[in-house]
Amino acid sequence: MAGRHEVTAHLSPAAVAERLRDIQSITDAALSRLDEDDLLAELLERTRNVLQADTAAALLLDFSSGELIATAAAGLEEEVRQGVRIPVGRGFAGRIAAEHRPVIIDHVDHTTVVNPILWAKGIRTLMGVPLVAGGRVIGVLHVGSLTPREFTSGDLELLELAADRAATAMHSLMMRDDRIAAAALQRSLLPSSLPATAGATMAARYVPGEGQVGGDWYDVFVLPDGELGIVIGDVTGAGLAAAVIMGRMRSALRAYALETSDPADVLARLDRKMQHFEPGALATVLYAVFSPGLDRVRICSAGHYPPVVAAPGKAAELAGIHSGLLIGASLDVPRKATTLNIEPGMLICFYTDGLIERRGRSIDDGLARLCEAVTAQPPDAACAAVMAAMVGSEAAHDDIALLMIRRSAEGIL
Amino acid sequence: MPEDECTVQRVGGSVVVTMPAEIDAMNSDGIREVLLSASGPGVPDLIVDMSRTTFCDSTGVHAVIAAHREGAVTGTRLRLVAVAVRRIFALVGADLVMPIYPTLEAALADTPSATAGPGAPGDKRD
Repeated sequence: MAGRHEVTAHLSPAAVAERLRDIQSITDAALSRLDEDDLLAELLERTRNVLQADTAAALLLDFSSGELIATAAAGLEEEVRQGVRIPVGRGFAGRIAAEHRPVIIDHVDHTTVVNPILWAKGIRTLMGVPLVAGGRVIGVLHVGSLTPREFTSGDLELLELAADRAATAMHSLMMRDDRIAAAALQRSLLPSSLPATAGATMAARYVPGEGQVGGDWYDVFVLPDGELGIVIGDVTGAGLAAAVIMGRMRSALRAYALETSDPADVLARLDRKMQHFEPGALATVLYAVFSPGLDRVRICSAGHYPPVVAAPGKAAELAGIHSGLLIGASLDVPRKATTLNIEPGMLICFYTDGLIERRGRSIDDGLARLCEAVTAQPPDAACAAVMAAMVGSEAAHDDIALLMIRRSAEGIL
Repeated sequence: MPEDECTVQRVGGSVVVTMPAEIDAMNSDGIREVLLSASGPGVPDLIVDMSRTTFCDSTGVHAVIAAHREGAVTGTRLRLVAVAVRRIFALVGADLVMPIYPTLEAALADTPSATAGPGAPGDKRD
């Protein structure tokens, strides 16, 4: 803080007024009325002006590749147009992101700066600061000068002020893009309508978690020999990353379902595929294969809660199936399917954890409440009854997927 | 110790991570980090003590399973102590890959080198 006092102490009244104007230019409340893209562009322009720099650029950290990607620029727009990427830890911007601190360099060439555009254009001095949101580095903001100059601690403070503003805008930009993409992906992957199957009626519900789409999904398909496949699953995590993995698992499972009719074998193959191509991902999946007459079902669960079964006139209960380990946890786990007989009029309810888990209430409590709410009635009414009993008017904090199928029977509605 | 944090301590040749009373999406990321950093080369045996955990949702279960998977790579064997939350671990098949004990004492007594480990004469210097 001593440096800060020194700077202001030696400023003339005119210089103080000028500095105030600079600060106002960056913190201007009117900027908030712009949408995030325009705010960022305007902020970079103002930053370049107040610091009398030739360029200002913002790079965003792409968490999947660990690279900084030029996202917005004023003065040297080529950076953005050419899609410049800088690995974290390398060069000028990479060092700022890795070390989480400001860096000033007055020697710009291939030994200090990775981005060739900067030295090719004759930038002589660079000053950059990390963009931090939620305690994490999300990018880098830097300004450059075509003439050699000394950036003062006052200049650095102004740049940090701009970075603070830019980080907030970019963070919400990232969150928004992520949310929109995840929601679109999720919508495209859930069946828009359930296949009409002789001898069965079905209904489903999907409710995204509070403001955040997760990795829950269900799938229903008819197999070539007339069997009916039902899948329900939940990828650990949320947002776009979980939705992308969910999409890959859904396609892979469909492909394996055509290769083998044993649900345990399908999940074992899916597990092997996931562990090879998506190491680190964890997911629960339950796959059920119904016989063409719907009188029998073979179920295999990979870490997923067992379905609830309700026979007409009887209390619903958890299906007694073998439990199997989650997908992605370990290869050396035997997987085993359980065969259940289905009486006419019986209802089977598949669901994800969001339906039964509530903070402060045990899982057993959630499962017991679900069993109470499920009755052997037409699936659409049963779904409505379960959602009313389990969710009510509460906002879901986690995704909820619910799928019910009922074997039809003469004389039973 | 805050209610929603874990503690890590060494008991004989094992590392024991004591888990909080409630685990859900609010604290499971932090728990996952603690478990991953507590395991690794030089830690042959990691005991995840959930004996005082009364609530654990699937994010907590997944954190423990992720640590188990990591341990399989780095050479740390993960064992679990669970009472109230034992059922959720059984429901998702975790009992197929990791031993689950009713008490920390039972887990420590079952440590491979338990007989030669804690309390062995000359073991303590100060």
